[in-house]
Amino acid sequence: MASKSMRMHWPVMLSPDPIKPLGQLQRPVLMVRDLKTHFFTEAGVVKAVNGVSLSVSEGETLAVVGESGSGKSVTGLTVMRLLSRTTARVVGGSIEFCDRNGKVVDVLGLSEAAMQRVRGHDIAMIFQDPMSSLNPVFTIGDQIAEPIRIHKGLDRRQAREQALDLLRQVGISDPEQRIDNYPHQLSGGMRQRVMIAVALACDPRLLIADEPTTALDVTIQAQIIALLKRLQGERRMAMIFVTHDLKLVDEIADRVAVMYASQVVEEGPVKTVLARPRHPYTRALLDCIPSRRDASGGRRKLRPIPGTLPNPLSPPLGCRFHSRCAFAAERCKAIEPALEAVGEDHVTRCLRWKEIEL
Amino acid sequence: MSSLDQLTLPQVAEQEARAPLVSARGLSKYFESRGGFLAQAKPPVKAVESVDLDIGRGEVLGVVGESGSGKSTLGRLILRLIEPTRGEVVFDGHRLQSLNAGEMRRFRRHMQMIFQDPFASLNARMTIGDALMEPLSLHRGLKGTAAREAVVALLEKVGLSGDHMKRYPRMFSGGQRQRIAIARALASNPSFIVADEPVSALDVSIQAEVLNLLQTLQAELDLTLMFISHDLSVVEAVTDRVMVLYLGRVMEIAFTDALYSKPRHPYTAALLQAAPGVAKSKRYILRGEIPSPSNPPSGCVFRTRCPFAIDDCAKVVPPLSKVGTEHYKACIRDDLDL
Ligand SMILES: Nc1ncnc2c1ncn2[C@@H]1O[C@H](COP(=O)(O)OP(=O)(O)OP(=O)(O)O)[C@@H](O)[C@H]1O
Ligand SMILES: Nc1ncnc2c1ncn2[C@@H]1O[C@H](COP(=O)(O)OP(=O)(O)OP(=O)(O)O)[C@@H](O)[C@H]1O
Ligand code: SF4
Ligand code: SF4
Ligand SMILES: [Mg+2]
Ligand SMILES: [Mg+2]
Repeated sequence: MASKSMRMHWPVMLSPDPIKPLGQLQRPVLMVRDLKTHFFTEAGVVKAVNGVSLSVSEGETLAVVGESGSGKSVTGLTVMRLLSRTTARVVGGSIEFCDRNGKVVDVLGLSEAAMQRVRGHDIAMIFQDPMSSLNPVFTIGDQIAEPIRIHKGLDRRQAREQALDLLRQVGISDPEQRIDNYPHQLSGGMRQRVMIAVALACDPRLLIADEPTTALDVTIQAQIIALLKRLQGERRMAMIFVTHDLKLVDEIADRVAVMYASQVVEEGPVKTVLARPRHPYTRALLDCIPSRRDASGGRRKLRPIPGTLPNPLSPPLGCRFHSRCAFAAERCKAIEPALEAVGEDHVTRCLRWKEIEL
Repeated sequence: MSSLDQLTLPQVAEQEARAPLVSARGLSKYFESRGGFLAQAKPPVKAVESVDLDIGRGEVLGVVGESGSGKSTLGRLILRLIEPTRGEVVFDGHRLQSLNAGEMRRFRRHMQMIFQDPFASLNARMTIGDALMEPLSLHRGLKGTAAREAVVALLEKVGLSGDHMKRYPRMFSGGQRQRIAIARALASNPSFIVADEPVSALDVSIQAEVLNLLQTLQAELDLTLMFISHDLSVVEAVTDRVMVLYLGRVMEIAFTDALYSKPRHPYTAALLQAAPGVAKSKRYILRGEIPSPSNPPSGCVFRTRCPFAIDDCAKVVPPLSKVGTEHYKACIRDDLDL
């Protein structure tokens, strides 16, 4: 087995810590190192997150992009410790959170009670599926006011006032009437905005926003983005923004991490990564953006990436992208690339980054 | 088909040749709001107001508009998943409102919906295989091996594989679930699909794949599609015609190219300019809030946010008037250069 012996000779090199030591200019709020979250299912072990490292600082936005099923949501849910213990297990890595007093907390080591205080209060998450995370039997007003009362110790009336204000800020017109609505009475985009209001209710230090604006039209989206940016400026909130919209990444994020098949394959400053991607997968993603029709007026055929995401039950040897990569060479099938620095604060997980022109 | 004799929209030659598959006349939906339990009765939410439309066989009609403008409600009305407050829908010569429950159930195989929320639309306790098997046996009478093969074929069509059959919805990522929802909609071989934001939960690569897939299927099966989306570039890529909704009313409807290159309604122009990627200096951000759908402005419902509003705009509800081939706009001003 040539590939096997190759792998032995080429151990997965841990690059000299690809993540910049934080706390130089900005204080890190979250540090995820080499995280491995696996699902133990009847069909086998799904290595949904397999060696992910991320960090985000105060007032900073890290965008996380990547193909469907690449592990973006599972990464966020692991940080929130919201995965069911019966199937999901963190089998490696660490998650550190720096609280309001500058104390570093080992998230994976916290008791469930302590974690409950962190959730919502210190770290909030906007979930990808609005309907299953809003409670159908409570009005949206109750769902926003409840955490405000608990975490901020306000009375009913004050909490309701704040809830109204939040609804207004996320662009819900007629908040006085809407506040007593149940989730099913709202449109898809309104539900998503209510979730955003719930997440922002307690001034979290870190916001994990999982596709927060996918159901929103551009005008509301622009309003939400402006709101999030303002909160970041005012409160130095750190944000992890999961999205598949690369145009949005450009508008909102400082840095971007690109995920593919349970790993980060490229990370760096947004401007650099979008203008000069150093990983073939990032390049391919950029090519998929639907754009206005070409001058001839012809309907442009979109260019999807050929093939499908590898089965997480049995990821391929070597580079996980090799079966779909336009630049794959023989050695890509055998050697698993490590994250390598390609520039300042910019890393890629490609064996050939030096020799290929993207 | 008496009500169809009084068509409010003139039909163009092309549509006369290909009779519309789906037509709606005067379609309206008001939701009574109950509010909090001590709250007093409030005026109903006018989610959809007097919509007329025709969708030709094999045509892809896009529906765009801001959040809450009534897109999903219109989609549900067209499929008679909810009853209209007024108006009616004619599908392939059948008046849906006249069908009884049993007839409607049998009729469903021809018209399917891909829902906006891929999480809520799949039963958590059913494996993916069973979820797809259900419509196959119900509508196509497939059983045993034939049904299993059809399931595998469907999964492969949407970029998944037969291995996924035994898995439960929670074991899939958001994008994967949306593909399953599409497979489910295709299972009964429908001739008409309302796709409500079918790709907004998908990453760009899968998005491109699914859009190409929908286009291919559409061409192969001569599928008629109503494509609801807030993503204007996606709508431009896949639709033949586009309808713009605001507060439940049609603002403009036109061939896609015409609408994008020369919008005739101020609201359409504003929407197009708000898209990310448009130079910021040229951007005209829609100011103000969308008015409450339970208390819409008099006259033109867009007037509170329209930079071109004049006194007359408050007085009359602008009718849809013809401004070009199959191009209609609901705006009283013809002197605008947008
Ligand atoms: N509860 C679970 N049990 C088993 N496998 C799971 C579970 N949840 C997620 N997975 C698998 O983990 C992988 C990563 O899923 P995840 O939801 O993180 O993807 P994602 O990157 O967020 O994708 P999307 O863009 O579609 O939301 C997928 O292969 C998915 O099928
Ligand atoms: N079951 C319901 N009960 C009460 N009001 C409803 C109900 N369903 C929808 N509405 C209201 O009807 C209006 C239109 O909603 P609809 O879901 O059609 O909007 P949409 O255009 O699909 O928006 P989005 O882009 O956010 O999905 C909204 O004001 C909504 O609150
Ligand atoms: S390592 Fe090889 S296969 Fe992987 S991305 Fe780089 S060139 Fe492509
Ligand atoms: S009718 Fe008046 S308010 Fe309405 S869109 Fe036209 S100019 Fe604007
Ligand atoms: Mg996800
Ligand atoms: Mg909707």
